Amino acid sequence: MKRILLSLSVCSYLVVAGSMALAYQDQQSTKPVTAAAAHPQTPPARTGEQVFNDNCSRCHMPPMVIPPRITGTVVMHMRTRARLSRKDQELLLKYLAP
Amino acid sequence: MPRQDHKLYRILIAALAASAAWIGTAAAQDAHTLETHAGNIPAISGGAGYIHNVNGGVTSLEPQINPVLLVPFGSHVLLESRTSFSGFFQREDLTTGPFKGKVFKSVDYAQVDWLANTHLIASIGKYLLPFGLYNERLVPLWIRNLQDSPITAAIGTRSSGAGDGIMLRGTAIQSSAYSVQYSSYFSARSGINQLEAARTAGGDTSIYLTGLRLEAGVSYQRFLQQRNINSVATYISWQPRATPLDLKAEGDFSYNGRGYWIENAYRFEQLPIPPVFRKIQAVTRIQQFFPLHGGGNSLPTVSTTKVDFGLNYYFRDDLRFVSSYARNFSTQGNANVWNVGATYRFMFPLWPGRK
Repeated sequence: MKRILLSLSVCSYLVVAGSMALAYQDQQSTKPVTAAAAHPQTPPARTGEQVFNDNCSRCHMPPMVIPPRITGTVVMHMRTRARLSRKDQELLLKYLAP
Repeated sequence: MPRQDHKLYRILIAALAASAAWIGTAAAQDAHTLETHAGNIPAISGGAGYIHNVNGGVTSLEPQINPVLLVPFGSHVLLESRTSFSGFFQREDLTTGPFKGKVFKSVDYAQVDWLANTHLIASIGKYLLPFGLYNERLVPLWIRNLQDSPITAAIGTRSSGAGDGIMLRGTAIQSSAYSVQYSSYFSARSGINQLEAARTAGGDTSIYLTGLRLEAGVSYQRFLQQRNINSVATYISWQPRATPLDLKAEGDFSYNGRGYWIENAYRFEQLPIPPVFRKIQAVTRIQQFFPLHGGGNSLPTVSTTKVDFGLNYYFRDDLRFVSSYARNFSTQGNANVWNVGATYRFMFPLWPGRK
């Protein structure tokens, strides 16, 4: 039983590792050529949407809707929890309640 | 006063003055108005759920609700607190008889945060100990992919998972490619009801690579009561952009034992299957623990291996059905652990107001 379950786990991790490799390959191959890519010295500025998607998903499913009246409060809370910078907080506020 | 002490005081005063100047400069840079429609009224957030657990043939019914109170004072000060109300009901004779139990309530944290600037957030009160990935980030039942805690969750979080005192945290460095975050704290010993904490000191630092969405970090804690114990955790967390995968892994080391867990969660949203099945999330976790010095302190006393398989279904981003099966292997006896239930995340203003 232990062997079967361990083998199942190892198999699932192999599948995950495979999907990661594919994902990485996809990231490399489907990366659009942007102005920033053409000029690597000037990386593109982060948007509020990027900050939202990158940081929320580190721990949980990003919420679809945050009531505008509490957006500032929730973002303050998440800035504390996720140790976000002031800049990221501003980008989030502009994105969630423009 | 000896000459050496004078020198030490001068160095300390110079260091304090330098840090005050640095904080002041950064605060001045941060102090500008932001034009958005984001409201700052107090809010209640949190999670609620019900888990039906069967562990080695013994059934437990576990309803719980964990409201988080958020009260901002201006744009730099936040009062936040999470309280847990959790029921635990089992049959009178474990496998037979009527269900009996009680509801436990506890204050998980109650702290005041001063969001000084990018580099410094100071928290005072009862705060969650920033050790590894689990205690501070994954404990809420609406967040965790598997309802059972990792075996090593007790490492670095003694004795209540929280500390009483001060914690400093923030972003040390940020660029477009990466950011480095830190937390450091000192907790006093407390036996006050709902404010129980041990005398500890420690910290956590992590680097987040924005492009890869990869985070790697290390946590340290020095337990300063009775036997002084060092605990260390190293962890990684990865959510690749191209695939809805969430991979987390952590290794923990302490006087009472060492262990690790690796968890991956994959959402079916990109698979070529009917839309109704794309809301499924499959989860796998493997973990092992090896006791040292007899184990104990909420850790197993024998070597333990556990494998978990979970299937969650997201009706919405805030409502999901959860289920999991785990097999626990140890010399004290193997056991099956089943969990079935539902979790819900809520978030609403504390009082009605103008839209």
